[in-house]
Amino acid sequence: MKTFRLFWIIVFALTFCSAAQAAALNGKVVFEGAAPAPEKLKTDADPTCKMIHPDGLMSDSVIVNANGTLKNVFVYVKEGLPAGQKYEAPKDSVKFDQHGCQYSPKVFGIQVGQPLEILNSDDTLHNVHSLAKNSKQFNLGMPIKGMKLKKSFEKPEVMVKLKCEVHPWMGAYAGVLDHPFYAVTGDDGSFSIKNLPAGTYVVEAWHEKYGTQTANITVADTDQEASFTFKAA
Amino acid sequence: MKPAYLHHYVRFVAACTFVLLVAGGLVTSTGSGLSVPDWPLSYGGLFPPMVGGIRFEHTHRVIAGFVGILMLILAILTWRVETRRWARFVVLGALLMVLLQAVLGGLTVIYLLPDPVSVSHACLAQTFFCLVLSLTYFTSLEWKSGARFDSIGAAALKRLLILTSALVYLQLIAGAVVRHTQGAHGLALHITLAVAIPLHALFVVRKISCEDALSVKFSSHALCIGALAMLQVFLGLGSFYFTQMLKRPDDVPAGLGEVLFRTAHQTNGALILSLCVLLTLRCHRLLRRAS
Repeated sequence: MKTFRLFWIIVFALTFCSAAQAAALNGKVVFEGAAPAPEKLKTDADPTCKMIHPDGLMSDSVIVNANGTLKNVFVYVKEGLPAGQKYEAPKDSVKFDQHGCQYSPKVFGIQVGQPLEILNSDDTLHNVHSLAKNSKQFNLGMPIKGMKLKKSFEKPEVMVKLKCEVHPWMGAYAGVLDHPFYAVTGDDGSFSIKNLPAGTYVVEAWHEKYGTQTANITVADTDQEASFTFKAA
Repeated sequence: MKPAYLHHYVRFVAACTFVLLVAGGLVTSTGSGLSVPDWPLSYGGLFPPMVGGIRFEHTHRVIAGFVGILMLILAILTWRVETRRWARFVVLGALLMVLLQAVLGGLTVIYLLPDPVSVSHACLAQTFFCLVLSLTYFTSLEWKSGARFDSIGAAALKRLLILTSALVYLQLIAGAVVRHTQGAHGLALHITLAVAIPLHALFVVRKISCEDALSVKFSSHALCIGALAMLQVFLGLGSFYFTQMLKRPDDVPAGLGEVLFRTAHQTNGALILSLCVLLTLRCHRLLRRAS
């Protein structure tokens, strides 16, 4: 009985310890300086897009949130993960939509081998051209509303540009990694990378226009805070 | 059909080929090369929705198909009415060229614009245009019965024209490399030749104007080349401004100015090359060295 109790104490202790050694890296990406005026994009090339956006579209390459943070920054662990550690790609697809003649999401992360489900929600034709350098490129015509296609990337790459060859203003970026430690800032400019094992890492923040910033972060058994600052050009 | 009508038909083919060159230039200038992801059909059919970049790419394909049919008819007509054996083979060569051009166009789509294939497609297009324009000359009255005349400067002029045509052709290749690698390669050579070629055009004009016999026959042709060469410098500066200096963001489509300058620059280059080749042929046909 004593042995049985001791056994379960050890099991719980080990479980608690291993969980305690993984923590989250939370933070914000701040933008300093005056936010650039978004460029107006004409959608006249397609009557359907013109109908959806009669006054044109605003460029979404730089979105500064109301709280002075930057949206659509891809934050990921660049270096420091245990060598030889393999992270199985999730079976769940990352959803990528063509809606309102825009790509959604604009910036996203995906693991190597994870399915990317591409959907056309518009009543017009689109195509998706991946400009991957490390994986096989694809250029897919999607002429029908509701049409879905699945693709995946074979090798890591930060970042893979996706563009529509029919509507030149449509562009998106995929951060392809062989691990799950990444996040994308949203409307409040925050990011959270969960379950990061204890260790010292190089974390990089990537933005379409403002390039990259890196930081050395040490993660122990409690959540860690980090922030990045991008400055107006 | 009499051979005289053959000349008019070849001129019509040349005009349509010129339109095809412009259409092809618009495809690259608007970044529409991959807007139709399949080939030879367009989104699985013959009539895709003409939206966005598809307007340019599909129009280009339709005109290309039309020129292909015109060339096939020309080949059949030439084989039936043309008595000169060599002319028949030149037309056959042009037909094979247009078929190869179609294959290269398909490969650019299927393999997602590999630079060597795109550059080859661009260069072959202009070579084909030169060949068709040469055919108009081979079927012309001047070729068949133009009076030959003596010229003191005949040999030197012929050499100058061959060299000028070769430089323009090299410039065409450099320009195609610049255009299809977004300026990553070939720019230095392209700019160097952009200085050399207008000078050569001036040499040609000067050489022809120095001798009355040459001037009477060739001065308007040479002046045309000279004027287009000067225009090309202006168009090249405009293209350089839009592509290398303005640094348009990726999500902003090319504006009208950029599209016009880049397409006109490419098309004018084709005109300069073909007029140089034409003048070279005319000089070789009509000039004798004065003893």
